[in-house]
Order: sequence, then structure tokens, then C-alpha cells
Amino acid sequence: MIFWEIAKRNIRIHLLRSTLAMLGIVIGVVAIASMGILGNTLVSTVSENLNSVGDSITVTPYSGGGGGMRGPPGGSSGSNLKLTDQNFQQIKRVVAPNVAIPVYQTAEHMKIGVGSDDIVASIYGLPPDDVPSLMKLQAGDYNNGNSGVLIGSTFAKDHNLKVGSRISIGTDGSKGTLRVTGIIEERGMSFDISTDNALVVTQEWFENTYNRNSDYDSVVVKVKDGDTASVKTAIEKQLNKSKDNKIVSVMDSKATLATIYSTFGMVTTFVTAIGGISMVVAGVSIFNIMMMSVNERIKEIGIMRSIGTQKREVMSMFIYEAAIIGVVGSIVGGILSIVAGYLISALMLNSTKYLFTVANALSVAEGVCFGIMVCLACGIYPAWQGANLNPIDALRHE
Amino acid sequence: MNEQPVMMFKDVVKVYPLPSGDVTALDGINFKVERGEFISIMGPSGSGKSTLLNLMGCLDTPTSGDIYISGTRTGDMSDKELTELRRDRIGFIFQYFNLFPLLNIIENVTFPMMLKSQKTVDPEKARAMLRSVQLDDSLFTHTPMEVSGGQQQRVAVARALINDPDILLCDEPTGNLDSKTGAGIMELMSELNRKGTTIIMVTHDPNIAKYSRRTILIADGRIVE
Repeated sequence: MIFWEIAKRNIRIHLLRSTLAMLGIVIGVVAIASMGILGNTLVSTVSENLNSVGDSITVTPYSGGGGGMRGPPGGSSGSNLKLTDQNFQQIKRVVAPNVAIPVYQTAEHMKIGVGSDDIVASIYGLPPDDVPSLMKLQAGDYNNGNSGVLIGSTFAKDHNLKVGSRISIGTDGSKGTLRVTGIIEERGMSFDISTDNALVVTQEWFENTYNRNSDYDSVVVKVKDGDTASVKTAIEKQLNKSKDNKIVSVMDSKATLATIYSTFGMVTTFVTAIGGISMVVAGVSIFNIMMMSVNERIKEIGIMRSIGTQKREVMSMFIYEAAIIGVVGSIVGGILSIVAGYLISALMLNSTKYLFTVANALSVAEGVCFGIMVCLACGIYPAWQGANLNPIDALRHE
Repeated sequence: MNEQPVMMFKDVVKVYPLPSGDVTALDGINFKVERGEFISIMGPSGSGKSTLLNLMGCLDTPTSGDIYISGTRTGDMSDKELTELRRDRIGFIFQYFNLFPLLNIIENVTFPMMLKSQKTVDPEKARAMLRSVQLDDSLFTHTPMEVSGGQQQRVAVARALINDPDILLCDEPTGNLDSKTGAGIMELMSELNRKGTTIIMVTHDPNIAKYSRRTILIADGRIVE
């Protein structure tokens, strides 16, 4: 149609002006889409670390605090609050057939090799039979016995330890020497036990060494069918008889994960909205350029109207112009946002593994669609104004 | 054959309301234009010529009175209907040619055809029309800025005639041309009129008005002769 051709030619004649307007849209789309990609990639990366603990419940002694999210039971070793064997048995009964695992934990001085510096790390004491359900090994085997220890992957890497290495526990090795029998696979951030930088020993060794007897720091429940909410409710119902007589705090990792994802979602929306500001600026620029285009062509509009061009046809000519700027700018912006997303992911998250996902494709599509919509929206008023000019006044315009 | 006058004004009044008081531009205008006529409208500056032309071209509506184009009363028409009337029944020729600078000559002439058909048109009719106004084929793909004023006005005439209008409205068609070129354009107008085109021409130049077969003289918003 002739109005499409006129719109194209007008853009070509004012190429610099049109290119600058497109540049605004390109920047807006890149800002929105790349922020979306960053957010999605962040969520994917965190999910990878958290999903493995998405089916666990952690029960700790009630500390009388205000509730809410508790961290891993790292700080409870120094606390007098413990779960009794009776508590553990109650939990075990309530959660059956799911597995309940009693956990001892403490922080301990240790030395690696002769003449090395004293270091402090967490030690978990777990029943040997339950260890495989909590963690996987990247080297060695689970059968650590009372003189063996499993170590976290980060701990192994940081201290250059291998299967067979020896660690002296306690100041000056006062609590004996353990031999590394296995290296635990990286588990990342977790809600039950954090083993990446810790040691895992047998329950028996822990009880003998620290003189503990069925007074657990926490209990981890692995929920098989994924319905963590109902298991949590059952434990609370059984152990916390009333509001004033609470014995345990129960943390549902799945609910916590949902909260984390929701928070990430809000952060993604927020940063995308910040990117949207640049789109608003681009929209103002498009609006300005379209107004200029209308003002420069008032006489032309008058001629068109006088020889029988309908208002909607005049409008379409300016809308086409805004659409060309919007479509070209948004598509270029979409392509560049993938590049920007790649760079941001590589530089900020050190991973581009999650770049080509459906969520990221949607982010780019959203950015492109938003860019086109902004252009069209900003072109509508100038087009309407042009179309509604009085033909007589427009014809007289110099 | 249609026996209705091509154009008829009946007690047409046009008043412009202004803050300083109403201005009556036209005051009780009555006239008829029969098919095949060539009429000049003359009058001094401020007499109401332009207002009359705007009303004849359906670009404006009267304050009172009726205007008929080929028997159709324009007073109750919507903007869309008036635009269609301009497109299908009226051809405009302006003093400053008013061609579209973004389109070449053939596209300028096919433009009203496309408005009417709402689709791509065969440019052969436009070529024939341009040849009939004595424009050389070699100029068809040039832009308006690349040809002379006289040639631009010939393109404007071809554009005005392309949809076979009932009336050709001309506003000082030679006002921006030298006398020789202007005479050439007027010869073309006369030739078109001899072939049956109805022409109404607003001019202040008596030498140009001589080409017409009837002159309407207007002063202070009234027809005086």
C-alpha cells in the first residue's frame, strides 16, 4: 500500500533521526531483556544448588525466637537446646515411612598433616546407614568406620586432601586421627546439613569423642513423596502441643525454596522495571520524533485530505512509521540483549549454562514486544493529531 | 445522462465566529454549475473566493443553506462521506501544485486511484493521463522537485483527473507560473473543457478568466455579477 511506501521513504529521508530513535528502542529492549535474562539465569543457577534439598524437613529444638527461617543447625552445637531421643522417636513415628535422621554437629579444631596450621571446621555425626540418603560421594566410599571420615568437596580442594589423607582432630590431635575414606559431592547451599566445607563422622565416634548420648542437635527428615507441608504439620502437631509449649522448630525446605524463588522473582521484576525506565525514555524520544514528523508534513496532510484521503489512512501512514522504527529497533535490541545476557551471565555468575532457556527466550520476546508496543503507543497520538488536522488550515500551512 | 446540475448552491451563508465578533464571509450565495461549464470566480482580496472554493471542494461546511454535488446534498454528510465525495467526484488543482515530494510523478498520479480502489493499481491509466497532459514519458519516474513548475502543474492536472471527477476545482492554477507556461496550462484546461470536463476556477487575473465561458464576480461575500 502507498502509505507503507511513504512511511518507509520518510524514514529513509530522515535516516539519522530515525536511527537515533531506533537506538533508544534498542537500548530499552536490551535493558529489559538482559535484566530478565540475568534474573532467570540467577534463579536457574540457585535452583540447581537448592533442588537437591527441596524434599527435606529440618527439625531443631525450639529456641523461643520469633520463628521464621532458621539456618542450618550450625550454631546449635554451642547451645544447650537439644532434641532428646524421645523427641527423635516421636518424629520418627510421625514421619514414617519417611526417613528421620538424627544429626550431631559441632565445630572443632583440627590439623591436616604435620606442621600445618590449626583450622576450625564443622563436624557432623550421622548414623552410617543414613548417610547415602543425604549425600553422594565423588570419590571413595561410605564405609568410613570409626576411624574414617567423609569430607566435603570444598574442604578437600582447599586443603588438598584425597581419599587416604589423614586429619588430626582436636587441638594437637587430642581427639584422635581420622583417615579420609570418601569425598562428598558438592551440595551447594542447603537447609539440612552443609557438608561442602565440613567433615562427616559416624554417630558412634561422635558420641564417644564428645561424650554425647542421644541428645541431638537436629533431625533431618527426607520426604519421599515430596509432600513436605503435611509432614511438617504432622511433626508440629505431635511435638508442639500448644502455643506456649513448643518443643521443636520445623523448617520445610520446599516452602523456604518457594519463598526464595518468589523473592528472586520480585528482584527480577524490579530490575526489569528499572530497565523499563530506559524504554520510557525511548518512548518519549519516539513521541517527539513522530510529532516532528507530523509537524513537518502538515501541508502534505492537507493535500492528502483534500484529494480524498481518509483520516484513518493518514493515521496509518504515521503508525507505519512508528511501527518500522519499533520493529527494527526491537529486533536489533532483542539480538543484542542475548549478547548482553551472555556477557552479564559470564561475568557476574561465571556461567552461561542457563542462557538458552525458555524463560530467557520469553524475556527477549517480552522485551521485543514491549519495544514494539511502546513505539506504536507513542506513535498513536501524533498520528491521530495529524489525521484530525483541519484540511483547510493544513493546506494553508507553510 | 444525468440532468442534475454538477453543483448547486442554495442560500449558502458562511459565518466565522471570532472573539471580536462574527465575520460573514459568504452571505446568501446562489448559483448552479451545469455539466461541461468552464466558470471563473473572480473578486478582490477578502471577497470570499477562498471560502467559496473550500465549500465547493467539500473541505468546509456552510453555516446555513444547502450545497448539492451532482444532486447529492452535502450538509448531512459525515467526514468520511465528504472525503469519499472529494476522492470520487472532485479534482483539485492548486496554485503551488502540491504534489507529494516523496512520490515520483507516476506515483503522484496513481495516488488517488489507490485511495479509490484500496489496492495496487495498473499505472497504465496514469501513463495515458500524463501523456494526455503532454508530459514526456521520460519524466514519469522523476520526483516533482526534478521537473519544472509547468510540468509539475501538468502532473497536478493529471492527478486531479485520474478518478474521472465531475468537477475540476482550480485555485489560481497559473499563479505560480510565468505567463508563457501559464498560457500553456490554460490551453490544456480549455482543451479538457472542450472534451467535457466541468471546470470551476478561482482567479484574480482577468486574462486567465478569459479562457472560461462564464465568470462569477464576488464582492463582500455576495455574487454581484
